[in-house]
Amino acid sequence: MSAISLPKDGAVDTFDRFIVPLISIGLPLVLWEMLARSGAINNFLFPAPSEIFGTLWAKTGTDIDAGVMYSHVYYSMFRLLAGLGLATVLGTLIGILIGLTKWGRFIFKPLLSLFMPVPTLAWTPILLLLMGVDNKTTIFIVFIAASFEVILNVIAGIENMNVKVFWVARSMGASRLQIFFKVIIPGILPYLITGVKLGSGYAWRALIAAEMLAASSYGLGFMIYEASEFMDMTTIYGGLITIALLGYIIENVLMGALEKRTVAKWGVQVER
Amino acid sequence: MKQASASAQTGIIAPTSRPAWGGGQALVQLGRFLVPIAALLLIWEVAVRGGWIAANIFPAPSMVFARASELIFSTGPDRGMLLTHIAASLYRAIVAFGLSVLIAIPLGFLLGLLPRVYKWLSPILSLMLPLPAVAWTPILLVAFGQGDRTIITVCFLGAFFPVLYSTIQGVRSVSRQSIWVIQSMGGTRRHVLLNVLLPGSLPALISGLKLGMAHSWRTLVAAEMLAALSAGLGYMIFAARSYMDVSTMFVGIALLALIGMAIEYGIFGVLEQNTIRKWHGSSRIGGAA
Repeated sequence: MSAISLPKDGAVDTFDRFIVPLISIGLPLVLWEMLARSGAINNFLFPAPSEIFGTLWAKTGTDIDAGVMYSHVYYSMFRLLAGLGLATVLGTLIGILIGLTKWGRFIFKPLLSLFMPVPTLAWTPILLLLMGVDNKTTIFIVFIAASFEVILNVIAGIENMNVKVFWVARSMGASRLQIFFKVIIPGILPYLITGVKLGSGYAWRALIAAEMLAASSYGLGFMIYEASEFMDMTTIYGGLITIALLGYIIENVLMGALEKRTVAKWGVQVER
Repeated sequence: MKQASASAQTGIIAPTSRPAWGGGQALVQLGRFLVPIAALLLIWEVAVRGGWIAANIFPAPSMVFARASELIFSTGPDRGMLLTHIAASLYRAIVAFGLSVLIAIPLGFLLGLLPRVYKWLSPILSLMLPLPAVAWTPILLVAFGQGDRTIITVCFLGAFFPVLYSTIQGVRSVSRQSIWVIQSMGGTRRHVLLNVLLPGSLPALISGLKLGMAHSWRTLVAAEMLAALSAGLGYMIFAARSYMDVSTMFVGIALLALIGMAIEYGIFGVLEQNTIRKWHGSSRIGGAA
């Protein structure tokens, strides 16, 4: 029974996974192209997709722009990963301090409730004064945007840990360092990864806006903002498409793979 | 790890040992929230006055308060400026949020009820969802120029997708059986919509509204920095940068946080209490919804 229905399921699966998205995204693009070519819609505000992809292609090539696209993507990804890495390390430490120590809770809890409600990008002008234009400011914005989710999830992870695990480790004579790396970190890892995943979504949004406000040379946010000053619509649309694709890849492919591996190893899924 | 076991124990004991005197408990909770913050502000004040923190980057809370009252009460050109900024920001965020709710909720119900349409549209939606709303700003700047239209559209896009997504999830989470039950008892479409779909999807709907308003408010800051002409809290903060007027920046940051919190806890917290709690209670008596 199942042997007969299996290939059919596979066929439906490939149809849903590849054909549906292809048509769902392709059909509007084809329509748009036709409308733009026939002149039914404003060609300046809505340039044809072929022109947009042509511009993107030119930016990766060896023409005047000489692979400038790679630099934009590279800088954006570098800032995202640097900020995210910082948020993961510091957020985990702060979360553990809040979850396990009294003084940590005493110091960091009020700081959290003071800073969390502030929209991340509101810090940009102050960071600009403090650190100047470019990498430092944008990385710091990414760090702020991502760290709260990491901290909150680490705290939740610690609250859901079994105290007896500590007792076992202690009674077997584990040192503090061993408890940290062998008990706490594996114990909170599923939560930590959920936190990083959620944080990466916020971070990506914040990064693009921060690059518009505080970047001076490269970055996808900078690219589209600069293009708007020259009214270069094809570059803006090309940037938007790149940002959407990269955001999708980060959220679903990168973080999804990370999550899948932890779920496979630990057998837990953290719902938040 | 003595502390760990202690905290775990208090975590178990606290709910039962806490005396149940309604309003007073809320007051204690509020105190627990506010006292450490007040202490922190006091430390900050002392640190600035003692010269340990540079006042030209992190001004003392008293300086920020003084600047805020100056922006409201002073008799110069600044008179009432702060209120103008607040009003402009609130107006934009609320109009954007209202528009997104008006469009996203009916659309969400439609997509939730028509799984085939949803299947064909979901690839586009999942591509649009991680796209930051602020990224639309350059196109809108070219199309509309600076001003309210651009800002409101950006905030609308920021709020639209969370509301839409939550509505779809909420409608899809309503079980087919409960719809069949109502229909087999002779319920009309109206009954299904008002008595099954709406209450069933309400928790997701309200959390979507909450998320949408939060996104609208957070997107607003960036949009105002990029596209505001003369008013708005984001504009105020960004314009203050040119004069190195750090106190004004902190006035703006504090107000953005306070208003955001007031909306989240004051409006949506109360809404959640009065709807989800109520409906959830009734559905719990009748068994699983």
